[in-house]
Amino acid sequence: MPIIVPRDKAIMRVLRPIIAMGICLSLALGASAQTLDSSDSSEYLIKAGFIYNFAKLVGWPQGAFAQPDSPIVIGILGTDPFGGIIDRILADKQIDARRFVIKRLKWGMDLKGCDILFIGSSEAAHLEEVIHALKGLPILTIGETPGFARRGCIINLVVEDNKVRFEVNLDAAKQADLNISSRLLALARIIPQSAAETR
Amino acid sequence: MNLQNLSIKGKLILITMLTSSAALVLSSASFLIYDLISFRHLLTLDLMTQAQIIGYNSAAAMAFRDEAAATATLSALTAKEDIVAAVLYSPDGTIFAHYFPNANAHPSTLPGRSQENGYRFESGYLEVFRDVTLNGERVGTLFLQSDQRQWSERARRYSAIVGIFVLFSGLFALLVSSQLQRLISRPILHLENAMRMVSTNKNYEVRATRFYSDEIGRLINGFNTMLSEIQQRDTALQRANDELKTRTRELEGEIIHRKQTQEELLKAKHAAEDASRAKSAFLANMSHELRTPLNAIIGYSEMLEEETRDSGKLENQQDLQKIQSAGKHLLSLINDVLDLSKIEAGKMGLHLETFDVSLMVEEMVTTLQPAIAKNANNVRVRLADDLGMMRADATKVRQILFNLMSNACKFTDHGTIALDVSQSAMEGQEWIRFRVKDTGIGISAKQQEKLFQEFSQADATISRKYGGTGLGLAISYRFVQMMKGRISVESQPGQGSTFTVYLPAQVTLDTTETAQLEGTGGAPAASAQRKAELDTILVIDDDPAVRDLMSRFLSKLGFRAVAAAGGEEGLRLAREVNPLVITLDVIMPECDGWDVLRKLKSDPSLAQIPVIMVTVVDNQAMGFDLGASNYLIKPVDRDRLAMLIEKHRVARSSTLTESKGPSRPAATREGRPIDMEVSRRS
Repeated sequence: MPIIVPRDKAIMRVLRPIIAMGICLSLALGASAQTLDSSDSSEYLIKAGFIYNFAKLVGWPQGAFAQPDSPIVIGILGTDPFGGIIDRILADKQIDARRFVIKRLKWGMDLKGCDILFIGSSEAAHLEEVIHALKGLPILTIGETPGFARRGCIINLVVEDNKVRFEVNLDAAKQADLNISSRLLALARIIPQSAAETR
Repeated sequence: MNLQNLSIKGKLILITMLTSSAALVLSSASFLIYDLISFRHLLTLDLMTQAQIIGYNSAAAMAFRDEAAATATLSALTAKEDIVAAVLYSPDGTIFAHYFPNANAHPSTLPGRSQENGYRFESGYLEVFRDVTLNGERVGTLFLQSDQRQWSERARRYSAIVGIFVLFSGLFALLVSSQLQRLISRPILHLENAMRMVSTNKNYEVRATRFYSDEIGRLINGFNTMLSEIQQRDTALQRANDELKTRTRELEGEIIHRKQTQEELLKAKHAAEDASRAKSAFLANMSHELRTPLNAIIGYSEMLEEETRDSGKLENQQDLQKIQSAGKHLLSLINDVLDLSKIEAGKMGLHLETFDVSLMVEEMVTTLQPAIAKNANNVRVRLADDLGMMRADATKVRQILFNLMSNACKFTDHGTIALDVSQSAMEGQEWIRFRVKDTGIGISAKQQEKLFQEFSQADATISRKYGGTGLGLAISYRFVQMMKGRISVESQPGQGSTFTVYLPAQVTLDTTETAQLEGTGGAPAASAQRKAELDTILVIDDDPAVRDLMSRFLSKLGFRAVAAAGGEEGLRLAREVNPLVITLDVIMPECDGWDVLRKLKSDPSLAQIPVIMVTVVDNQAMGFDLGASNYLIKPVDRDRLAMLIEKHRVARSSTLTESKGPSRPAATREGRPIDMEVSRRS
């Protein structure tokens, strides 16, 4: 369920009823909300850029990459909300000597070859299983569904006040042996691991 | 600006002060500028470092478009007071986040868009642009603007410090230089002082003290050398001066001595002049004193002789004639002596008048008649046709001729005496020549040598035989000289003598002599206001003897004599009787003859009456000046007096009858009895 964290901004006060109405509408429509989101290409442009930036500010442990120029593999699990956007954005990007490789994955496929795994909203039902499957592996998990971070996803993108923000689960990052830059953390909302979901 | 007239002291201090202050200010300023430049560099580096840090810290926020985080990062600049603006630009150039510490900050001054990396100074502000990168990728641009508060504060503080430093060091320099300037100014002031002492007190003993052996020291040395030279010269001058003074004193003494001598000489001269004056006075007195009694002697002897002749007492007549002759001789002697003494005293003046030479000669010959007759001589007078008027002293010319002629008569017996008068031109001048030639005893060459000297007759025996004073030729010679003429003689004993006299036709006076009035011979009456008493003659004389003699003489001539004993009485009688002629004496008590003459001539009713001066005073010039017609000197030559009166009578009667006739003035002449028998007029 999307939650609204109101910010103390004048604009927000004006926009609040509209957004609330929008949220109610999306709640009412249910599944059709995904379609709406994906059609908003600017949101996913930003999110694709975020994923690129996360790659810059996250340190993988030694040995995570076979070679210095080994590509960073990004896996998109479940329904792909990006369309071709992420491929286009990352096509000519590289961090140090590493390029990007995008893979479209389905639940049940081997997820261990990824360095970054974007877990789509469609996987919310079995998120814990995915997290569990990846336990101990240096894979940066990124979600875009409210509550994902609490449930063990390392980074979860949220939209607040029409802006994309993100939550970080430091425990999850520590378990994955990923070093998240303090500069990134300074911008994130730190979410503690929920005891119930840490099974 | 009177900077040039400042004292040396002042100048030195000023120079030191200016130099040190200038150096100080320059060095301080350059130091300050250097410091400020390097400080600004430092500030720039600092700001750039700041920008780097802020850029690093805000890179993630930029990357994740977290405006709040970026703003928070910028807010860290609060500690930096000099930052007035901090702005983050997105890669597309729009403002992403900004920070203005002051509420009144001016976003308007911000650059609208991001710019190249680097720093710049823009209107007092230091601005820095810096790219914000994340893992080498530019995610935005940071802009920092500093007002350089530290820099300007530092500049202000440093300037104040430098100012105070300069002020204090200036004061210190003043202190030091005012002490040190004495090194230079003290010797100069000392020298100046010494110079003033020399110039005001004229004290050349002063010497300036030499302090150091620098240029001023050498100057002082030179000054001292100069002074000693001056002193030396001054001393020499003083010595010379003293010597001069001594000499001057000697000279003064000599001058005084000479002055004394001069005074003595002057005294001697005065004494001599006094003596001369006394002599002249004596002679004048003598002439008066001698002539007065002679007057009486001659006059009365003439009267007696006439009376004796009338009564036929012939035995007495001879004696009386001798008395008369002796008296006249004595008189002529006295006259000659007086003339000579007058000439010698330089008191004999020329009385120039224009006269007819022929007339004068004829008149002279007439008066000479008795002398001619005495030795039965034959006189022949030859006058040139072209003889005209002559300008000379007529009396003296007549006397010269008379002397020559009477001499010729005297020394010639039964012979011929020839008088030639002619006119000729010589040496660019007209001359009248008189030549008297006789057939007498002649003069030897030896005698001729001293012929014209005083008291020299050719022979001592001559005076016994022929009589005479021997002064006649001497006087004639002097008279000729006075008139700038010449006299010469040619003679041989026994062959007769020839005397030749040349006189200028126009005798001129020396310029120093004052021009004398021409004898006019008395103005004949232009119109008689009343009928003159043609037979009345007024005699004015204080001497009763003269009055008596004149009266008797005039009565004989057929005139009525009216006598007055004094001037006032004479004037009164003149008005009463309106006489034909007045005879006037000069020396009278109370009112003298000159006064009477002046009064007569100033009274219109009396002015026309001719006045004949009859006196012993020999001053014809005065008489003629005052208007006298004739001048006779006592004792009176009766013939001459008679002739003059007759002339006046004829002139008056013609004037009265024919109103005014052409009458020539009566030839005047000093009537002077000469050694001859006066022919009597009955």
